[in-house]
Amino acid sequence: MTTSALTPEGQTRSDTVLPDPVLPDPVLLDSVPYFDIADPAFRIKSEQVSAARGRSWYARTNYGLAVLRYDEMSQLLKHPKLRQGSAAWPEHNGVTDGPFARWWASWVLNKEGEEHHRLRRLMNPAFSPRLIGGLVPRFQALANELIDGFREPGRAKFMSEFAAPYAARVIAIMLGLPEEEWPVIAEESTAIGLAMGITLRTELPRIEQALANLHGYADDLIAARRRHPRDDFVTALVKARDEGGKLSDDELRDGLVLLIFGGFDTTRNQLGLAMQTFLTHPDQWRLLAERPELGGKAVEEVMRVNPTVTWVTREALEDFTFEGLNIAAGTTVHLFSQSAGTDPRAFGAQSFDITAERKPHYGFGGGAHHCLGHFVARSDMSEALPLLARRLTDLRPVGEPSWLPDSGNTGPVTLPIAFTPAPR
Amino acid sequence: MRISVDFTICADHGQCAIAAPDIFRMDDEGHLAFAEYPDDARRSEAEDAADACPEQAITIID
Repeated sequence: MTTSALTPEGQTRSDTVLPDPVLPDPVLLDSVPYFDIADPAFRIKSEQVSAARGRSWYARTNYGLAVLRYDEMSQLLKHPKLRQGSAAWPEHNGVTDGPFARWWASWVLNKEGEEHHRLRRLMNPAFSPRLIGGLVPRFQALANELIDGFREPGRAKFMSEFAAPYAARVIAIMLGLPEEEWPVIAEESTAIGLAMGITLRTELPRIEQALANLHGYADDLIAARRRHPRDDFVTALVKARDEGGKLSDDELRDGLVLLIFGGFDTTRNQLGLAMQTFLTHPDQWRLLAERPELGGKAVEEVMRVNPTVTWVTREALEDFTFEGLNIAAGTTVHLFSQSAGTDPRAFGAQSFDITAERKPHYGFGGGAHHCLGHFVARSDMSEALPLLARRLTDLRPVGEPSWLPDSGNTGPVTLPIAFTPAPR
Repeated sequence: MRISVDFTICADHGQCAIAAPDIFRMDDEGHLAFAEYPDDARRSEAEDAADACPEQAITIID
């Protein structure tokens, strides 16, 4: 019997468990598992998926194939016959035109070939690892400031009092925006985050209003840097447009909105999911407090078992065969990163251990579209988690958390916590 | 300028080939091929590629 530490509803403790069950069902023994991934009740972190993984490296779905195991995901993530699969996402949800569909199409994520490479080269410098080392003290100061600011002693609303301001202020630092503008970043980006899951269609008006607000914000920012250029990333992008002709007006404003949104929503969620995991592993939380140098490994281990992006998609560029399976051109391939990350073939029995030596996880994707901001995310979370562990001892849940849907960038909406405060 | 790639950690993402296409290239199987001694004039491209590698597998040896 497999139990999961990852159910939002239960927060059950994870035990060391048996490997995936091999189902002795004679009727289904040779058949490939099937998932209805459009069903709002579908969960990657379910027994249905882990049982299927025990039987087969892949499953069929109503929208193509799902890949369930680590090894196969490793090979397909960067396979030359597959391209990024997310360009059709709005269309799959009945959104075929309008501002959101246009903005989605502009994303560097949804471009291929030279158009992609040109945009990627322009955006890479904002997140260079050479910049990050110098920012570590600011990340630490920010984390401490936010913890100092918790309104009630021994209690916190983790998402609104820590995860959201931390993620928003880090993106402000990276892009050279005033940190005090973080609430705009947070509020608008949170609404846009609803577009990443099945809430896209039902929340479209709210999403498009938030997008309009962020476009307005980007336009003001561009105008300000044209009037008063600075030694910062936004100025560099504006110059690339104005002096180098390397990107268009639309690409400039769309790209800025993407960087603002992309840096915030995922990091906020991932911090919340980290707390969810540590809430059910107090021994690991104590260890992290005692050994803050484990911060980096803690981030990797959290993202292995509890990533905010639980799956990524690819699309077959041409017919090809993989492990004996014929994949037709145009097939969507869903790479279940969270299933791969907990695959016992790669990681042994289910466990959460921040000291373990592990194979790489795929929480940041891979290949040409590997997450652009991953160095910053890794760095800022590696600073925040040990600090939180040291200052918020005896971490425990209190009240009822609330959750984003599983289908998009997932994570807590609200996460009330209690703890025994320890000094800085 | 000499480029060194640690193939024990290279994961064939291809970010280097995007950042510095004159030095790095992904072959038909999706594996990395690169120029070990590129022209010094390409130093800043090489640095961009080393920066962009998600696994930090590239070293520029003078």
